[in-house]
Amino acid sequence: MTHLKDAIRRNSVGFCLECGKCSAVCPITRWETKGFASPRRFVETALSGQFDALVESPLFWSCLTCKRCSELCPSDVRFSEFIRDVRKVAYADGASGPCTHGDVIHTWARIMADPDRGQNRLEWLTGDLSTSGDSDTVFFVGCVPHYGVLFKDLGFEGIDIALSGIRILNHLGISPQVLADERCCGHDQLWEGDRETFMALARLNVERLKKTGARKIVTACPECARTLAVDYPRYVGPLGMEVLHISQVLAKGFAEGRLTVAGRTADRRVVYHDPCRLGRHLGVYEDPRTVIDALGYTRVEMPHSRNTALCCGTSCWTACGQVNKQIQVERLREASSTGAELLVTACLKCQIHFRCAQQDSLLRKEIDIPIQDITTLAAQRLIAAPRAGGQNQDNHASRPGTQ
Amino acid sequence: MENPKIILFTCNWDAYSGLEAAGRVHRAYPPGVRPIRVPCLGRLHPGIILKAFAQGASGVMMMGCAPEECHYDFGSRKAETAFSQAKALMRLLGFKDSQLTLEYIRAGDGASLVEKISHFVDGLNGNRPSP
Repeated sequence: MTHLKDAIRRNSVGFCLECGKCSAVCPITRWETKGFASPRRFVETALSGQFDALVESPLFWSCLTCKRCSELCPSDVRFSEFIRDVRKVAYADGASGPCTHGDVIHTWARIMADPDRGQNRLEWLTGDLSTSGDSDTVFFVGCVPHYGVLFKDLGFEGIDIALSGIRILNHLGISPQVLADERCCGHDQLWEGDRETFMALARLNVERLKKTGARKIVTACPECARTLAVDYPRYVGPLGMEVLHISQVLAKGFAEGRLTVAGRTADRRVVYHDPCRLGRHLGVYEDPRTVIDALGYTRVEMPHSRNTALCCGTSCWTACGQVNKQIQVERLREASSTGAELLVTACLKCQIHFRCAQQDSLLRKEIDIPIQDITTLAAQRLIAAPRAGGQNQDNHASRPGTQ
Repeated sequence: MENPKIILFTCNWDAYSGLEAAGRVHRAYPPGVRPIRVPCLGRLHPGIILKAFAQGASGVMMMGCAPEECHYDFGSRKAETAFSQAKALMRLLGFKDSQLTLEYIRAGDGASLVEKISHFVDGLNGNRPSP
């Protein structure tokens, strides 16, 4: 009960006016049929001190923590953070959300939390890419190689995203450090309540990242970006490094004239989907759009975009079901209705979730819009062919002084 | 390594009948091997395989019917997919190839089952146990 009161106080939950604006926009409230899964009602239950009823609420594990409700809340109730804090208490009591994908993703994160585990995570690095051991930029790969294995059958771009990220940095004259002993950032563990695993992963990553001596971290995953930029300083201590999503690096490169696209012939209509972690969580709305424009595409917008964007439907690999599918299909229908030929997103999980929804053979005609990550799209347009004379370098090989 | 913990997933059909056959003729296999019977090997997901390692197993063996013998037709093919995904993930996570194997057992073939277990355990020697 003390924990619940703490969580209520910390997240301004007591200021709820019960106006219900949150329920009007919550994607779960809209589709959940098992009960009335409203954030307002959830808050009301919490304020009346019924912790058990809270854990049984249909919103408890299914909340996407997408912050859509917080955008409208007149009292600035931090609902997503409140859910996260209450889940931590429930998790410590032995509760956990319905697992998806055989719990494999959480399991590999737990395996990585072992300080003695020596990983073998850089075999995918190709010879044309340049990396170094002393650059002041770290490229944080995240779990892309692992997702690439698991979701290959969905047509997920997988490791191409990481390769493109490094290729873009190389194009900017940066040979980033790529760490062989980097860990999962722990985003899912944090938001799902497994604070112990998150802390273990975070401490290992912070220690390793500090050892690099770098000043900047670039990642192609919005969840890693959010966790490294916001949660590591809060829970472990300051990193002392700037954390950037690759779209921010690209936007800066275009703004400074260091990146140009030869022959602006890509006359394709593309639509951008805002990932919740990059958009509402980190406030990065314009940079990916600037990049798409600069790449020479005709950008169209969905009715729900920027801070009103719909979520891709699932978070933390937990509690995925019919409700989540409805959200995904709704978003894909929205994207298709713009007449765009390509849906661009900046988050690998968004891509995986949308591609999963597209497996439905009955809906295929309606929602079969091609999907691509902004990282691979940019790399393709910027670097038509691999650069000549690319050096075969591993993590420890160096091309110093390129920064 | 002495008595490493090994999880042996057997399907309910050919592989389990092999295990029973080995028992009937008192063929011993290393004591660290813990068989877990599942209805069909196709029921396994890479998550369950990785979980065995996360919880301290040194090796995981998957034993089932040969693809043409599978009682559910598609089970062995599903098991092969799970096996190759788990193998690729384990490689990324720094496990050795020898720590996971998929074997097909003919119904009632206890001798080959015990031989395969012994071979696997021999291959594990020298690997550090999982945390």
